[in-house]
Amino acid sequence: MSGDGIAGQAPRTSRARRGATEVVIRGMSVFSAFGPGVDALAEAAFAGETGFAPVERFDVAGRRAKAAAVAPGSPELARELIRAIDEACDEAALSRQDRADCQLFLAIHGDPTLGADAFAAGIAAACGFGGARAYTSACVAASTAVADAAALIAHGRAERVVIAAGYLVDADQYALFDAGRALAPDGRVRPFSAGRGGLLLGDAVGAIVLEAATDAEPLARLAGWGRSGDAYHVCKPRPDGLGLARAIADALHRGTVQPTDVGYINAHGSGTKQSDAAEAAGLRAALGDAAAKIPVSSTKSIHGQALEAGALLELILTVAALRAGRLPLNAGYLGPDDDCALALVLEPAAADLGYALTLNVAFGGANTALLVGAP
Amino acid sequence: MSQTTETNAGGLEQKATPQNLPSDLTAAPGRAITAAVPQQLDRSAAADSAAAEPQADRASSLPGAQVAEPQAAHPAAAPKPQHDHPTAEAAPAPAAIITAATPLQAAALGLSIVAEARWPESAHDHTPPNLPGFILSSFSPIAAETAARCLSRRPEAARPSATAIVIATARGDRQSAAHVAQTVAASGILGPLLFFQSVPNAVAGHIAARWNLTGPVVCLADPVSALETAALLIEDGDADQAILLHIEQGDRDQAHAVLLQPVDARPVDAAQPPPGAHP
Repeated sequence: MSGDGIAGQAPRTSRARRGATEVVIRGMSVFSAFGPGVDALAEAAFAGETGFAPVERFDVAGRRAKAAAVAPGSPELARELIRAIDEACDEAALSRQDRADCQLFLAIHGDPTLGADAFAAGIAAACGFGGARAYTSACVAASTAVADAAALIAHGRAERVVIAAGYLVDADQYALFDAGRALAPDGRVRPFSAGRGGLLLGDAVGAIVLEAATDAEPLARLAGWGRSGDAYHVCKPRPDGLGLARAIADALHRGTVQPTDVGYINAHGSGTKQSDAAEAAGLRAALGDAAAKIPVSSTKSIHGQALEAGALLELILTVAALRAGRLPLNAGYLGPDDDCALALVLEPAAADLGYALTLNVAFGGANTALLVGAP
Repeated sequence: MSQTTETNAGGLEQKATPQNLPSDLTAAPGRAITAAVPQQLDRSAAADSAAAEPQADRASSLPGAQVAEPQAAHPAAAPKPQHDHPTAEAAPAPAAIITAATPLQAAALGLSIVAEARWPESAHDHTPPNLPGFILSSFSPIAAETAARCLSRRPEAARPSATAIVIATARGDRQSAAHVAQTVAASGILGPLLFFQSVPNAVAGHIAARWNLTGPVVCLADPVSALETAALLIEDGDADQAILLHIEQGDRDQAHAVLLQPVDARPVDAAQPPPGAHP
């Protein structure tokens, strides 16, 4: 393997295409364990303050793990989604007609009674959108929605798409993850660290407005996107990370960006033994020598794993980092792991970022990479 | 079955809007109408009452408004049999066949269907083959069997380098979800295998591994959006082909899988790296 990695060898290693229209982010809103607002979430991430606490929302007496990153009380998913969508649309100064001309792409856990499509249609109707579709592919649902929206806008088939996502930590998913031995019993998520013990769930509801670029300065540019499948296992990732590497290569190729142009990587970093090692391997395969030098953090160490909403939460946080010129921390670190030799962000740091990558991985070998550029 | 979706000038599916829907199907604006009419009649019972709510409290008027409290969620999580919905009984329920995509819908997006399969395909299809690693529910076994039949019918000449897998399911694995909800409510113990089968990704991963599908893995709720996504993945080089699998559990479990490729598909250029090939 050359020092370039496969991303540095594009276009020979990537056949990713895209439309010519530039895609930008013009409004964003988030609700997390830190409550409403991007600022509360970002400040916690820049300081390395975690949102994990013993779960009070439902009974965890019979569970091996006891913690999650949850907002106080019992927020209601539909209510928080509408609030986030309204806030993001207001930031983007959308008129009623703008909304009516626009589709909503909603990433949520499936709904076995109502149907996820009907739930999405209800949210869209409440917010005045022209139509909706629901994405349910677990931890890449939201990033897949963003990539699809970006592809449509780039081809000039939509002027604008609103992407929203929501997951609020619930008893059933907590029980499932606990039964699968996936949750960290020590109440912390420790991505890429020695002694890491698994993931923890987290609340997230968010929305972004994605648009074709105009003269007005946006929040950030959605410069590139990539997705791939491992074709390996029902839930384990390829240990060599080559599926993720292809997604990264495609994102950089679509953005005509070299690995050395990337100033920060918001990793998937779920904090599980196998997944973090596979991701580190994927970063080396994609970015070559640059992989050990680009600052990396998994903010799941701050806000937890928000399932179908996680990728949107992390995209919003990556944009916030880009705009603030500050790096989110990789919290929970105990010591180095030989399989994860990365330039982890362990101390607060400022950085003049031109481009940042956010990565997400899900069951079934699904990988996504989104490349964000400064406005 | 008549299709009420139209193709607009751009060649894309025009989703049904409130203005052009029959009045008993206006409950879910923007959602394309497919052949699965009885499902929509089921949902319209709850959604119609929501549509009549005043704007002031939009969130709580939404059908199936979800709260984080498990106690409130559990009654809704258990799937209700159709006879609980009087409005569904009022209209005659035809034996609806779900459709992943029709040749016409595919052609409108520049795609052709080169292989397809259904569950059930005959009276013999009542129990799908057991799928190792998946328990309790017929959802994943049916998905795997339908995809397998479709992919085994793929024409030799059309064998591609990267195939995306796009699963369309509105309600997902209802049996597993109901079992989890009931077990948690009764403070029972969950089998660990249930962990990953709660999302459609898991069976997608099985199918991808079994058939070496290295394109993207996507799960959506409705087949029309799924077809649009598949078309865009192929157009943008993320995949050469896509298998689109539409599956719904209900009184009769059903699945339909179509293998899609561009209408003007050429043999893979050996000089170019195929999308999805591992370097």
